[in-house]
Amino acid sequence: MNIGSQMLHALIILFAAIFTDNILLARFLGMCSFLSVSRQVKTAVGLGLAVVMVMTFTIALDWLAYRYILQPYAIEYFRFILFIIIIAAFVQFIEMVIERYSPILHQNLGIFLPLITVNCAILGASLFMVIRQYNLIEAISFGFGSGAGWMMAIVAMAGIRERLNNAKIPRGLQGPGITLIIAGIMALAFIGFTGVLSGR
Amino acid sequence: MSLRDRIWYPILYMAAITLISSAIIILFGSLTRQRVQDNQLIAFERAVLGALHIGEQELSSPSAIHTAYSTLIRKPDESSAGAFRFIKDDSLIAYALPLEGPGFWAPIKGIIGILADRKTVTGIAFYEQNETPGLGGEIVKSAFTEQFKGKILSDVDPALSIVPVSVVLDEHRVHAVTGATQTSTRLAEFMNETIVAWRNRMKREE
Amino acid sequence: MVRQKTGHVILAALWGDNPVFRQILGICSALAVTNLVLNTAVMGAAVIFTTALSSLTVSILRKWTPRIVRMMVEVLIIGFYVILFDQTLKAYWPDMSRNLGPYVGLIITNCIIMGRAEAFANGNPPGLSFVDGLFSGLGYACVLLCVAIIRELLGMGTLLGMQVPFFSTPLWDRWIIMVMPPGAFFTLAIIVWIARTIQPDKEPKKKVGI
Repeated sequence: MNIGSQMLHALIILFAAIFTDNILLARFLGMCSFLSVSRQVKTAVGLGLAVVMVMTFTIALDWLAYRYILQPYAIEYFRFILFIIIIAAFVQFIEMVIERYSPILHQNLGIFLPLITVNCAILGASLFMVIRQYNLIEAISFGFGSGAGWMMAIVAMAGIRERLNNAKIPRGLQGPGITLIIAGIMALAFIGFTGVLSGR
Repeated sequence: MSLRDRIWYPILYMAAITLISSAIIILFGSLTRQRVQDNQLIAFERAVLGALHIGEQELSSPSAIHTAYSTLIRKPDESSAGAFRFIKDDSLIAYALPLEGPGFWAPIKGIIGILADRKTVTGIAFYEQNETPGLGGEIVKSAFTEQFKGKILSDVDPALSIVPVSVVLDEHRVHAVTGATQTSTRLAEFMNETIVAWRNRMKREE
Repeated sequence: MVRQKTGHVILAALWGDNPVFRQILGICSALAVTNLVLNTAVMGAAVIFTTALSSLTVSILRKWTPRIVRMMVEVLIIGFYVILFDQTLKAYWPDMSRNLGPYVGLIITNCIIMGRAEAFANGNPPGLSFVDGLFSGLGYACVLLCVAIIRELLGMGTLLGMQVPFFSTPLWDRWIIMVMPPGAFFTLAIIVWIARTIQPDKEPKKKVGI
């Protein structure tokens, strides 16, 4: 494959990850924080940015670890544990760096970082990358796209939920119930993007 | 002062736990590795036999599949242009042409069986795909694959088309899986590319 | 006494504190495979296997585990069982392993398992922890199975891939949307709605900041 079509392919993966294959609305990953941290737009944006950053970097690290550590020794089944260790270590590292060099950023993003280690979307993106046999460039664009798609979904959800505050909702449906229904409607809307990318 | 209060205790403990669990996993992994590899081989052989419609009922166990495959199927040679050959009583019955191309999510790999007349399709089977279960993943189900049996490759491109359920079928057409337009379009695309390329090579060989 | 306690733990895990109804926890790792009952059943089995055995192991080791590495040890133990399950599936049921894709591995991040290890197994004897893990997993698997049954029946007109009266006939116009992602959200929302309406509100409503 030449560089041009390589880049085009990476771009297609990026857009597919945001729209048609949204990691949250089509793959159900990262639901826990999606349901609990989508009450306010401001916090949703903070968490979303943190996810985009962590996902983009850890997917690259995971790719390197898989290619140069696990594959040569044919111990691919260790990927589950190795990936989660890499994610946890990266989050810890980033937290220290941010705290040291940018107190303002730390104030805004810091509280979200610990939440990210247990966000299954991060690990999920890395596992998808392995299954779909992406190369490094594709993996990075997939990681960034998945993060951006996740952020878009949670910010949109927070915007809707802020307006729901004054709505009258049946008791059993309050909280997670109504959030799930909204997520369903959003997923329905995102299906509309399928076909946008059909022209290869 | 017990062992637990020493500063190095957590490190030692962690190392011990890691060591023990890794040892068990590696042991288990090496015990199952052969089986995992065999599974991949059998999946391929089953797809070849499935595409050619060779004895589906009796071939349930992996060893039966392997035996049937080794006696009936020959590797590709120059005369078959990359297709595996189904040979019975020294005469060529059919070709098994490997298909490989991008699916919606991940590469799809399969086999299409074509009779020695190079026109009649005997069937299709897939041995690797990662399409959405219940949607694109339905391409492996018999409801989809059985349609290919007896279809005729058209001389004009596309040789075989996968059309929406609303379109009337003819001898060059099969119905797509409902709700899996992407998978079907991509499959049709690389399937036709492969068939056309194979046909051209076969013509040149003559 | 012990028996009564065990019964209490089981009941709480299955209904009262069912992790899905109460907190909507841990659905990420499994909701995606709920469009087919068979896949869901295997996925549920994987979760039950992992929760029960990791709770047991964490509980056995609890007296020797130093506090500062506790979380790491728990992740390691959970990962250990997930790898065993995944590898077994790969070796003995390759088709299923392919169907489930990355979702078996994602059990590691399933909050329920970690939650049970943290909240229960850390402070209870091995036997009770095992039972708690087992039934927490079971409670979770049941909910997902309900989702899967509804989705497969309405969406594909089959159950476990088999024909069903009425739904498999042309009389039933299959709801394709049910096997697509939105179907999972709607089905789960309705199940949670029903469960929460039946269940009495135990805890007073808390306003959580985040």
